[in-house]
Amino acid sequence: MATNLTRRNFLKAASIAAASVPLSQVTAKAQSGVVKAPLVSPGSFKNTQTAVGGVCEMCFWRCQLVGKVRDGRLIKLEGNPKSIDNGEAICARGNAGVAMLYDPDRLKYPLKNVGERGAPKWQRISWEEALDTCATKLKTIIDRDGAKGLCFFGHGSHAKYLMDFLERTVSTPNISEASFFQCRGVRDTAYLATLDIAPDENVDMANAKVIFFTGTHIGENIHLSHAKNYLRGLEQGAKLIVVDPRYSASAAKSHIWVQIRPGTDTAFVLAIMNYLIQNKKYNADFVEEHGEGFAEMAKGIREWTLEKAAEECDVPASQIKEVADLMAANMPHVAIHPGRHTTWYGNDFQRCRALACLTGLLGAIGCKGGLVLPKGPKGLTRINWPYVPHEEDSVLRDVADEHHFSPPGTPTELLRDAAISGKPYPIKGAVICGQNIMQCMPNQEKTIKMLKQMEFVLCVDIMPTDSTMYADILLPDCSYLEKSDFIKTGQQWDLGKDPQQYIAPRMPLVAPGFERKDSIWITNELAKRMGYGDKIPAQNQEELADKALAGVNLSLAKIKAEGGIHVQPGVSPYDDIDDLTVHFYNEDMEDEGYPPIPTYVPIEQPPQGFVRLVYGRTPLHTFNRTANNPWLVNEAKTNPLWVNDKLAARLGLKEGDTIKLTNQDGVTSPTTTTVKVTPGIREDVVYLYHGYGTKNPEMTQAVNRGIDDNSLITKIAVDPESGAHGMRNNFVKIVKVS
Amino acid sequence: MPGLTCSSHQCADTVAETTILSRLYSFLALTMHYPDPELCNTVFFEAMTSLLESLGSQTELSLLRDWLNQTPDPLNDLRTAYTHLFITADSGETIPPYASIYRDGNGTLQGRSTEQIRNFYRQCGFDITDTNEPADHIRFQLDFLAALTSEARFEDEQFFLQTFFRPWFELFQKKFMQEARHPFYTVSIQLIDFFTKEEQ
Ligand code: SF4
Repeated sequence: MATNLTRRNFLKAASIAAASVPLSQVTAKAQSGVVKAPLVSPGSFKNTQTAVGGVCEMCFWRCQLVGKVRDGRLIKLEGNPKSIDNGEAICARGNAGVAMLYDPDRLKYPLKNVGERGAPKWQRISWEEALDTCATKLKTIIDRDGAKGLCFFGHGSHAKYLMDFLERTVSTPNISEASFFQCRGVRDTAYLATLDIAPDENVDMANAKVIFFTGTHIGENIHLSHAKNYLRGLEQGAKLIVVDPRYSASAAKSHIWVQIRPGTDTAFVLAIMNYLIQNKKYNADFVEEHGEGFAEMAKGIREWTLEKAAEECDVPASQIKEVADLMAANMPHVAIHPGRHTTWYGNDFQRCRALACLTGLLGAIGCKGGLVLPKGPKGLTRINWPYVPHEEDSVLRDVADEHHFSPPGTPTELLRDAAISGKPYPIKGAVICGQNIMQCMPNQEKTIKMLKQMEFVLCVDIMPTDSTMYADILLPDCSYLEKSDFIKTGQQWDLGKDPQQYIAPRMPLVAPGFERKDSIWITNELAKRMGYGDKIPAQNQEELADKALAGVNLSLAKIKAEGGIHVQPGVSPYDDIDDLTVHFYNEDMEDEGYPPIPTYVPIEQPPQGFVRLVYGRTPLHTFNRTANNPWLVNEAKTNPLWVNDKLAARLGLKEGDTIKLTNQDGVTSPTTTTVKVTPGIREDVVYLYHGYGTKNPEMTQAVNRGIDDNSLITKIAVDPESGAHGMRNNFVKIVKVS
Repeated sequence: MPGLTCSSHQCADTVAETTILSRLYSFLALTMHYPDPELCNTVFFEAMTSLLESLGSQTELSLLRDWLNQTPDPLNDLRTAYTHLFITADSGETIPPYASIYRDGNGTLQGRSTEQIRNFYRQCGFDITDTNEPADHIRFQLDFLAALTSEARFEDEQFFLQTFFRPWFELFQKKFMQEARHPFYTVSIQLIDFFTKEEQ
C-alpha cells in the first residue's frame, strides 16, 4: 500500500481527524458480528458429544450413522452401533462425509445468474428474492402452457418432496429421475413383467451356494450391508460366477470368470436355460407350480445351443455348460443378482427378463440363498402432496405410444426431444434437484440444447455441478448431515439370522451452516408463492417425519432416545411365494409388439480401429457426486483407462501414458487421463471410472480431473421396452498425448 | 497467554487513538460484509476516500475513485464482485475468506483454526452473533479486533494478530493480489493489511 505512514504514526497524525468523523458516521450504525459473552476458560469446549440419527447419503444405500460433534462442529462419522444393517462400519465415502460438510466449494447462499447459462456469473441474493423469482417464473409458464410446460430432474431423498409437489400437485407429467430410470428402473420393470415383483437387490447371497453376477462388481460398487451379505456367502463357501469383460474386484474372487463379449449376456443366459431345459436339470416342480408359458419359452429359445452362444459371446461352450451345471447342482440356493445400474446396451430389458426367468427356472425365489421378498417394517403413514390428475395427452410415452414397459417417470430421451423440438408441446421451465444431468444423460450437446431453450432453469443442490452451470437461480440445500428428510427401513442384513426389522429416520447431526435451507422448506415456500399453500402436507421436516412415524406409534424424539434406530422383531423372508407366478412368456408384452419370451438382440460391434468404451465405479467415489471431496480425491485422484496389455503393445502405449479419447462421431474428450495396462480386460473394450472430468471450475478439486466418459457418449441407444438409455454403445480411439 | 487488560507500553497514547483504531477495525469489517444498501452509500464511500486521503495513499485513492466514477450501480457491482471473489466463481477464482482454508492443511471449512479462533474470542469474553457463518470469517476477526481495541486491550489484540490473524491473512492476501481483482476489494484488503501488520 502506497503510504509513507505506519499504523502508529497514522493514529497519532493530525490528518486522522479528517477521516475520523466519516468513519464514525459509518461505524456508529454498524452491527458488529461479535458481542460480549460470558468469559469461558480454555478447555470448556473440548467435550465431544455423540449425535445419533445420521443416515448416510454419500451413496444411496443409506447406512446409519452417529456423529462425533464438538462445539457444533462435526469431527467424525461412525456407523451407529445399534444398526442391524451396516453396524459400526462405514465405507471410505461415508467417512468422508465430514469433508463434504465443510467443503468450501459447497453452495452457501441463494445465487442468481447474471451471466449466461453455461457460463454463469453469480450474484448472492436473499431467499425472498430467490423464491419470489422462482415462483413467478414457474407460474408464468404454467399459466401460459399448463403444467406440462415444466419438467423436473431429481435424484435422492433431497429431491423426493419437491418432485412429489411438482408431479402430484402441480401435475407436470415430465419427471425424469435418472437415478432410477436410467439405473435400476429397467431391471425392476423387467422383473415385474416376469415375476410380478421388483427385486431391488434382495438377493440372499449370505446363504447361497452359488452366486451369479452379470456385470455386477461388488467390491467396487460398495453398499455396506450388501457387501457384507456377499462376503458372508463367500466365507461360507458359495461358488461365485462372474460374467464380465473385465477382471473386476468380483471377478478376482470368482470360481468361474466368464470373460464375455460385451452386449451378449442375454445370449449367454438363454443358452444356460436351454441347456438346463434340454437336459432336464431345471427345477421342474417349481416351474410346474409357478410357471406360465414355460413350454413356449422352452421352444422359443431352443436355437440357443451352447455352441451358438459360445460363438456369439466369445467364450468356450464348455464354460457355459460348467456354469449351468454348477447352478443345477445347487438349486434352488442360487443367488442370481438382478444387478444395479442395468442400462448398458439398449437391449437391457430383455437381459433382465432373462435373468428373472433363469431365477424362476431354478426355483431360486423365496428360499435360502435365492431372491427374496423384502420383509421390512409395515405401517409408516404415507404423507404426500395431494394428487391432481395430469392434463390429458401430456404423458410423453403415451403420446408417442412407445416404451410400454417403462419405469415410472418420463423416458429421458422423449423428454429431451420434446423440449428441443417443442413437440408435442413446449417445455420451457426446468427444475433440477440433486441430479447432475450433464453427467447422467448421454449426448451432452443435446442436454445443453434442451437447457438453453428453457425460459427458466432452477437448480437446488448442495454442490455446484456441471449441471448447475445452466441455472438461472441456484438454491443451497442442506446436506444429509444437516437435515431430516428420509426414513430408512429394512431388516437385518443376514436373512438367515433371527428376523429383525429397523426404522431409522434421518436426523440432523449438526445445524445447517450459512444460509442453507432444507428442500422441504424450499418446496413449501415455493408452493405458497405458487398458490398451493393449502395443499402443503407438512409444515417442516420434523413434522413430515413425525407424521410418518405416527403410523407405527413412534416419533423422532422417541427414536432419538432409543439411540437413533428403532429395532423390532421381524419376519422371515423365506417360503412366502404361494402367489408367485413366473411369466416365462408374457402376453402383455406380445400385445404391445415386444418379444414375449426373453430374446437376444445383438448390438453393433466396434468398427475397425475402435474399441468399446465401458464405465463403472470406483469404491472411493459415488460417481461425480463425491468428485470434489478432498479426502476422496486424495485416495482416487483420477480415472486411468484400463487397456488390454496386447492392445497397448499394438498401440505403443505403456502404463502411465497420458491419453485423450476420440469417439466414433469425432468427439474428443476435453481432458486427459493416464493408461492402466492390464491383461484383465478384453481387447475390444476399454474401461473408465464414471464421474471424473468435471467441467465446472467451481468444483475446485474435481475440475478437469480425468476423463468424463459421458462426454464421449454421443451415440444414443434406447431400450424399446423401457425407454432407458443404454450407455455402453460408443466406441473410442486412444490418442496418446504424452 | 496474554493478560486480559491493557499493558501500558502498548496502549495508544490517547483515548481518541483507541477509539479511532476500534472504528477502523469496524470499518474494515464492514468492507468484508456482503454488500447491502446500508453499506453501499455515499457516506460509506466518502469515509473510505477520506481514510485513503489521510493515509496519503494516492494509488488506492485513484483506484477507488475511478471505479466509483465508472460504475452506474456500485451496490450491484459489489454484490457480483463479492460473490465472485469470496463465495463462488464461474472461473474457479474464489478466495474464501476463512482462516481454516489456508491454515489447516486440507482446505476445508470449520477446521482446527476455526475452533481455536472461536475459543480465543470466548476466552476474551466475546462470541459471534451469527453462528451460520464459521467463526473464522475475516469480518468476525476484524469485528473482534474492534471489540478488543474499544476496551484498549492491545496485548490481546497483538496476540490475536500474530497468532491467528496474520498467518492466514498473508496467504489469503497473496492469493488475492496475484490476479487482477476488483478495485474496491483490492483497496480494502490493502487497508486491512496496513492496519493489521506488525510495525517494522
Ligand atoms: S455404503 Fe458408504 S457411502 Fe454408501 S451409505 Fe454406506 S457408508 Fe455411506
